[in-house]
Amino acid sequence: MGSRSASAGYDRQITIFSPEGRLFQVEYAFKAISNAGLTSVGVCGKDSAVIVTQKKVPDKLIDASTVTHIFQISPSIGCVMTGLEPDGRNQVMRARQEAAEFKYKHGYSITPDLLAKRMANINQVYTQKAFMRPLGVSMILIGWDEERGPQLYKTDPAGYFAGYRATAAGAKHQEAFNYLEKKLKADVQPCADDTLELAVATMSSVLSASFKAQDLEIAVVTKENPVFRMLTVEEIDAELSRIAEKD
Amino acid sequence: MDRYSFSLTTFAPNGKLLQIEHALAAVGNGSTSVGIKAANGVVIATEKKTGSSLIEVSSLEHMAMVCDSIGMVYSGMGPDFRVLVNSARKMAQKYKRIYMEDPPVRILVKELASVMQEFTQSGGVRPFGVSLLLAGVDERGPNLYQVDPSGSYFPWKATAIGKNMVNSKTFLEKRFNGDMDLEDAVHTAILTLKEGFEGQMTEHAIDVGIVNVIPSAESGKSTPTFQRLTPAEIKDYLANIL
Repeated sequence: MGSRSASAGYDRQITIFSPEGRLFQVEYAFKAISNAGLTSVGVCGKDSAVIVTQKKVPDKLIDASTVTHIFQISPSIGCVMTGLEPDGRNQVMRARQEAAEFKYKHGYSITPDLLAKRMANINQVYTQKAFMRPLGVSMILIGWDEERGPQLYKTDPAGYFAGYRATAAGAKHQEAFNYLEKKLKADVQPCADDTLELAVATMSSVLSASFKAQDLEIAVVTKENPVFRMLTVEEIDAELSRIAEKD
Repeated sequence: MDRYSFSLTTFAPNGKLLQIEHALAAVGNGSTSVGIKAANGVVIATEKKTGSSLIEVSSLEHMAMVCDSIGMVYSGMGPDFRVLVNSARKMAQKYKRIYMEDPPVRILVKELASVMQEFTQSGGVRPFGVSLLLAGVDERGPNLYQVDPSGSYFPWKATAIGKNMVNSKTFLEKRFNGDMDLEDAVHTAILTLKEGFEGQMTEHAIDVGIVNVIPSAESGKSTPTFQRLTPAEIKDYLANIL
């Protein structure tokens, strides 16, 4: 039997299988995330979870306060979207809808793991049905689970999702993963301020930059305050100074 | 326009359905899974490939319970598996609502396979990129079924799917015998996975599920129950091997 199988030619344009069993459209969606140029990092510690992303304002005429990639989805869950911004907004709106509907139907707030699973299942549909393309974004979710504490999840265009001790998405995600794997050897869970420090340190390391408060966006959920909340510029500044003084 | 009105899986001049063949290639890229039918139960097991040490292994669900007496594992694309798990669970409950008992494995397999076939013929969709192994015990005894992306299904005494299926099946052919006890079957399943495993196999690197028949204390009747082995239990089996 012939071992070389020819593709019908559309396997690069819609989500059907290539001869090797790959989905090129999904792989290209991943490329779109890297092309967006930003990197985001998430770390889950024992008593808090943190997400950090770059804040790059492309034009001085843009109102910087309106530029954000971090979004709140429910009182205790929020996310950072990395990749194509419009696709990101689409997914955030959908996530907010799913969270609200869950609360209405079941009477209690959705937990981070269920929301991540729901978003991942929606992403899977786009990889199997030809009428909609996969979204060019990766969602890193943090939230506070009443029973389990801080949670960190990531979903991607392939429909894959998993819980993480630390994760990254975007242009330099591979470098960030390498850095985090070295710092978080098996089962180590950072405590208190170390969680945030590790996230910021990862960003500095892979982006080879020292940040000013305006260059970063940070959001946290903590045991003392189990609500999703973004840090203000002043808080970020204080945090960066604290880290700088430590060295 | 949310529906393509034409099928994306069409016949090639040589009579093949290429999308299905490509789906099988996707299965072949996936982690190995094995299943063995014992005299008094069934075991299914899979490799849990984690790309990074940062992943919370407890959040991964490679082995799924479909209903009390049926379990399911896969090789291939994880997201596609989740869709089929949800379908299978719903089918099982629908059956239970009418007949007041869990479906026999062969009935569930038929329905699930039918869904998978639909995705090879309906408009605007691609086939599922997974092969499934379903394990269960019904009034006829222990069952092990494989379902492929094409919608074909096969009852097996013992089998393997995924990356290392050829070597694993050869290994199983040598070691399988019809009077195996469930304990021995679990042992053999783990050994089979170990053959193709790269690196050190720990209790966190594999997922093992069994369906055995547990006699109920009150009624004396025995009900088949699917359960995943805990990491501690897997560790015991590994200790006996190493």
